[in-house]
Amino acid sequence: MELDVKGLSVSIGRSQIVNRISLQVKEGQFVGLLGPNGCGKSTLLKSIYKAISPSEGAVTLGGTDVLGSSPKKIAKSMAVVGQFNELSFDFTVREMVMMGRTPHKKLLDTDNDADRSIAEEAMRKVDMLSYADRSYLSLSGGEKQRVILARALAQEPRFLVLDEPTNHLDIKYQLQILSIVRSLGIGVLAALHDLSLAAQYCTHLYVLKKGEVMAEGPPRQVLSKSLIASVYEVDCELYDNPITGELSIAYRTGQVASLF
Amino acid sequence: MSRPQSSGLTPGSALRPKLGTSGFIGLQLGLLAITILSIGIAVSLGQVEIPLSQSLRILLYQLTGITLDGNTDFMQGPGANIIWTIRFPRVLLALLVGAGLTLCGTVMQAAVQNPLADPYILGISSGATLGATFSILIGFSFAGIFGQLGLAFWAFAGAFGASLLVLALAGLGGKMSSAKLVLAGMVINALCSAFSNFLIYFADNAQGIRSITFWTMGSLAAARWDMLPLVIAAVIPASLLFLFQARILNTMLLGEETAVTLGVNLNLYRRGYLILTALLTGVLVSACGMIGFVGLIIPHIVRALVGSDHRRLLPISLWAGGLFLIWTDVLARTIIPKTELPIGILTALIGAPLFMYMLIKKGYDFGGK
Repeated sequence: MELDVKGLSVSIGRSQIVNRISLQVKEGQFVGLLGPNGCGKSTLLKSIYKAISPSEGAVTLGGTDVLGSSPKKIAKSMAVVGQFNELSFDFTVREMVMMGRTPHKKLLDTDNDADRSIAEEAMRKVDMLSYADRSYLSLSGGEKQRVILARALAQEPRFLVLDEPTNHLDIKYQLQILSIVRSLGIGVLAALHDLSLAAQYCTHLYVLKKGEVMAEGPPRQVLSKSLIASVYEVDCELYDNPITGELSIAYRTGQVASLF
Repeated sequence: MSRPQSSGLTPGSALRPKLGTSGFIGLQLGLLAITILSIGIAVSLGQVEIPLSQSLRILLYQLTGITLDGNTDFMQGPGANIIWTIRFPRVLLALLVGAGLTLCGTVMQAAVQNPLADPYILGISSGATLGATFSILIGFSFAGIFGQLGLAFWAFAGAFGASLLVLALAGLGGKMSSAKLVLAGMVINALCSAFSNFLIYFADNAQGIRSITFWTMGSLAAARWDMLPLVIAAVIPASLLFLFQARILNTMLLGEETAVTLGVNLNLYRRGYLILTALLTGVLVSACGMIGFVGLIIPHIVRALVGSDHRRLLPISLWAGGLFLIWTDVLARTIIPKTELPIGILTALIGAPLFMYMLIKKGYDFGGK
């Protein structure tokens, strides 16, 4: 599914966090959203998945007006893996993942075998099937994040929004989560911290600063020494890794640009 | 975004027995049987001793017209009257109020995502007390319709009015968060308590003040057949409604943002659920005063046994709450000879140690599995 965001602005209180941002995720594209803390990445994503309402702009997903549709209708095609994964009440891993079926269920529907096998398949994909009957609250941060991804997969989404999905994760699971997401072949919009991972996985990048798009395009075009210096305020060198051939970034410590 | 701390009141589920559909239906039937048995035993216990066999025959005869040996001698004497017009409606009221308070507690804990929520959290208790105080100390002196409405009406009006105020206060300035709800509840609680205390302080009415004290401790002693229809009309439809909302209640526990991403408009449902539970609590409070701890403790005990999934939690909690109140009421009637204890004292006396035990037990197995 294609996501089209046009002229989106979001204000929280009196401050404008997101300022007329437009972006596009084409069918099957893995689009990364980069930018320093507080640049409006999460706020932009939240208004796309309807957790907060923007002050102006339009969001369409596969031709459907996202802002004007019910959460249920949107949740049938768009799943979200966010950062808000703490609970006051406990569930088993299986129960958590089964909740991904919620948008597909009517009021009186019960879970059937199809739902159960979808949930099991989702748990298998994130390598959590053996944890199915464990209590969610007893898991580590990384395990919780994988359960949340499994719940999103159980939604059988055709579009995926990720808000810093690899926070707290060991490098193995960072790579695993991003690889699983990429292998789905659906449109993905992901806020990411790690520039190297973004360069490795994303087909297209948007770089945000102070609520506005500073640059966009394929990773090799967008990521440059000067852009990273102006957006993140650090000095770095970009190079092609001689062994993997990937775009790599080496940060220069002790030379934090704007401090001097 | 503020959210309540994970309070650790929900024990890990690693040891939770697996319960299939047939096992679940069996458990429901078992609870139904235990409830019927409890009703039978509870009516035969009390200040006036009536043998179990006689109580059951009286109930059977009144309900179905069947006598076991064609002999209706047992209907003679005071026993039949006590069983049928005093104890049986009282036991039924205990069952309904217990189930209703537990329902409200379970739903409110989900709606405000706070394990410490109980039916009285949204200012309901203090609102009801203010209503009752007003009615006892001032209301009855009105002539005409205000005088006739009586204590039950004022308690209900106070409870419902206070909870509407809390909802309005929590909804100010945009989104209603669970922290705002709890804080608004505290504010309204303080305000209503201040007004009640003001009335009590300046009232020159010792008998009235005693009735207020008695009322805030709750009692089922006033149970009569004519009270039951209203309570039934409130508890049964509300229970059925929420049993069908289990999936949404589950999603609520995940928090506002997650609920939206799973297609549930949390704010809308939360408002609706809170208004419904406030109405139900208002009816229950007006019937029997304030009975604390039932709505807080029963959902936690049942959650510890079967987990947080409302499809299992709700139906089992309803039975458990009803059973708990039936037996607590039996104790209230019999524990001290020739004296009737307010049931609220007993629910707290039993509830608090149970709660403490759960906290301690949780401390032992937390994170250990």
